[in-house]
Amino acid sequence: MFFPIQYLINHGIPQETISLLLMIPIIATIIALSRQVIGIKGFGIYTPLIISFAFLSTGLKFGLMLFLAILLVGTLSRLVVKKLRLLYLPRMAIIVIIVTLTVIGAMYLGIYANRTEVITTSIFAILIMITLIEKFIAAQIEQGARGAIILTSETLILSIISFWVVNWSWLQDVVVQYPVWIIIFSLLTNLLLGRWTGLRLFEYYRFREVIKNVELPKKK
Amino acid sequence: MLNFLKKSEYVLGLNARNLSYLRPSNSRRALRIADNKLLAKRILSKAGLPVLETYGVISSYDDLKNFDWNNLPPTFVLKPNRGLGGEGIVIVYGRREKEPRPWVKANRKMVSIEDLRDHIRNILEGIYSLTGLPDAAFFEERVKLLKLLKPYSFRGIPDIRIIVYNSVPIIAEMRLPTEESGGKANLHLGGIGVGIDMGTGITTCSIQRDRLIEYVPGKRVPLRGIQIPDWQEVLRMAVYAQQATRIGFLGIDIAIDRDKGPVILELNVRPGLAIQIANQSPLKDRLQRIKGLKIKTISKGVKIAQDLFGGEIEEELEGISGRRVIGINEPIEILDANRNRHLTMAKIDTGAYRSTVCKNLAEKLGLNKVISRKKVKGALGAEERPIINLSFVMDKRLVSTETFIADRSEMKYDIIVGRKDLKRFLVDPAKNVFMKKPKIL
Repeated sequence: MFFPIQYLINHGIPQETISLLLMIPIIATIIALSRQVIGIKGFGIYTPLIISFAFLSTGLKFGLMLFLAILLVGTLSRLVVKKLRLLYLPRMAIIVIIVTLTVIGAMYLGIYANRTEVITTSIFAILIMITLIEKFIAAQIEQGARGAIILTSETLILSIISFWVVNWSWLQDVVVQYPVWIIIFSLLTNLLLGRWTGLRLFEYYRFREVIKNVELPKKK
Repeated sequence: MLNFLKKSEYVLGLNARNLSYLRPSNSRRALRIADNKLLAKRILSKAGLPVLETYGVISSYDDLKNFDWNNLPPTFVLKPNRGLGGEGIVIVYGRREKEPRPWVKANRKMVSIEDLRDHIRNILEGIYSLTGLPDAAFFEERVKLLKLLKPYSFRGIPDIRIIVYNSVPIIAEMRLPTEESGGKANLHLGGIGVGIDMGTGITTCSIQRDRLIEYVPGKRVPLRGIQIPDWQEVLRMAVYAQQATRIGFLGIDIAIDRDKGPVILELNVRPGLAIQIANQSPLKDRLQRIKGLKIKTISKGVKIAQDLFGGEIEEELEGISGRRVIGINEPIEILDANRNRHLTMAKIDTGAYRSTVCKNLAEKLGLNKVISRKKVKGALGAEERPIINLSFVMDKRLVSTETFIADRSEMKYDIIVGRKDLKRFLVDPAKNVFMKKPKIL
């Protein structure tokens, strides 16, 4: 194993922590790549990354259910609170309160139904999901329903892909074994991506009619 | 497939827009101007460009407390200064006389002073601003809809988006508000984008949500063939606005007011790329042709745009009629005795039947073999003129005919082309008006 990493582990830092940290460059690169080359936008790097880490603690199925439930309650309460005509932050605070109450309610429901996930889930995963509601609601206000749905589902897709990558045990070993290569690879990829001026994959589809109509200059 | 990839290189994508065009040509200063509507208006109106009148600015709670509501006219638009995508805009169309004298919105809903105060407080908090930072609100004159455009727009005001790069208008589209877009002219909300032929200002293809459409949704009103009024003026304004703001790559939104004519509504440093679909024409290609050109005057920029990027309507006409569209002045190539081509300018004259060529030119080209003579009656009396055989190529078509020869050494053009030789052409008096005489022979 790479010596500096071994040193950290010998001094009591869990290997899991280190492998999660070293996953961040990979996830960030994947997210940058999906935006620049494929055209999946999502909410920047932070949101999909943090959701995928939350999924790690909750498990994908339960995590997704929790996320969608929070999103649904958040959106519904926004529509109700909208009528009160309040200033932005107090309005958002009320939405967060309603969502929090819902999560607490869900805990009772979980205990009643004897679902163990509810009891074992780390508080950080739940906190992340609740606080992210602000971002999703803000998107609804700024982009309208359609834009918000697209952005949210793109973010969710990215989160699920990131979750699979982070959860991949082979890769977890590789990042600890060859951390230097992972960093160099991520940096180089991003340097290239940052200068990439080609069409994004979705743009080939979006502009297909225009492309078909292009008249290539005749060879002389 | 390979062809498809090659063709796709002509289309401008978001990556290339941001990296190759926004970054190098738009400084931080540029972003500051375009994202701040009031600042942009100040700069534009200082340069003498027409902008909408501002009735009042509220940039703090103090301003709001001291605002004199009685000075507002019955119709106005309330906007956030750093708003994005048409969010947070309130439009009122009239004011009720009965106390508490509320204003009326497009959907007949009432707006009281208290409602406006609420809305302004939200704006001040920065709900609609780009970055969520505190913002200012301002009242602005409402654009009065042009009668011509009424059948095409739902509630709001259509505007004309022109992208100007390096003092040349690159591409233009009209944006129509629809029911789906809630009366806003923003394409991503469901507004219609209508491509405009740069040369004539006549509309071509249309899109809604990136898909081609032919009619106004739900109506049988075709979107093709609308003539934008004051087209030259609109183009000139766009170029001037780009020069005045010194923003290298800029989208300029111009509305045409019923009374005031063209006015600049807004500047946009990140113009959307759907405009390529609306025009069915790729942008990257156009931008590369303009890059590095030295454009000295506004007229030059407009002329280059019309010559290089215009012609869609013409092509369509030519397709339908099977005839070529030519202007009043047209370059033609005369074939001499040895079938060599000689370039000169011709005057197209639909008032004359037979073409006439200058005697000196005919002699020089060895074409002066007279085959017959004919009497012509003109304003100066009857005259007998010799006729020769002549072939020329005009707009890629070969015309073989018999023409008069006459002494035209005092005239500007060596040849006049008459009706007899114009049967395979359509004459557009607006075309080539500025075309200079090329150096000949």
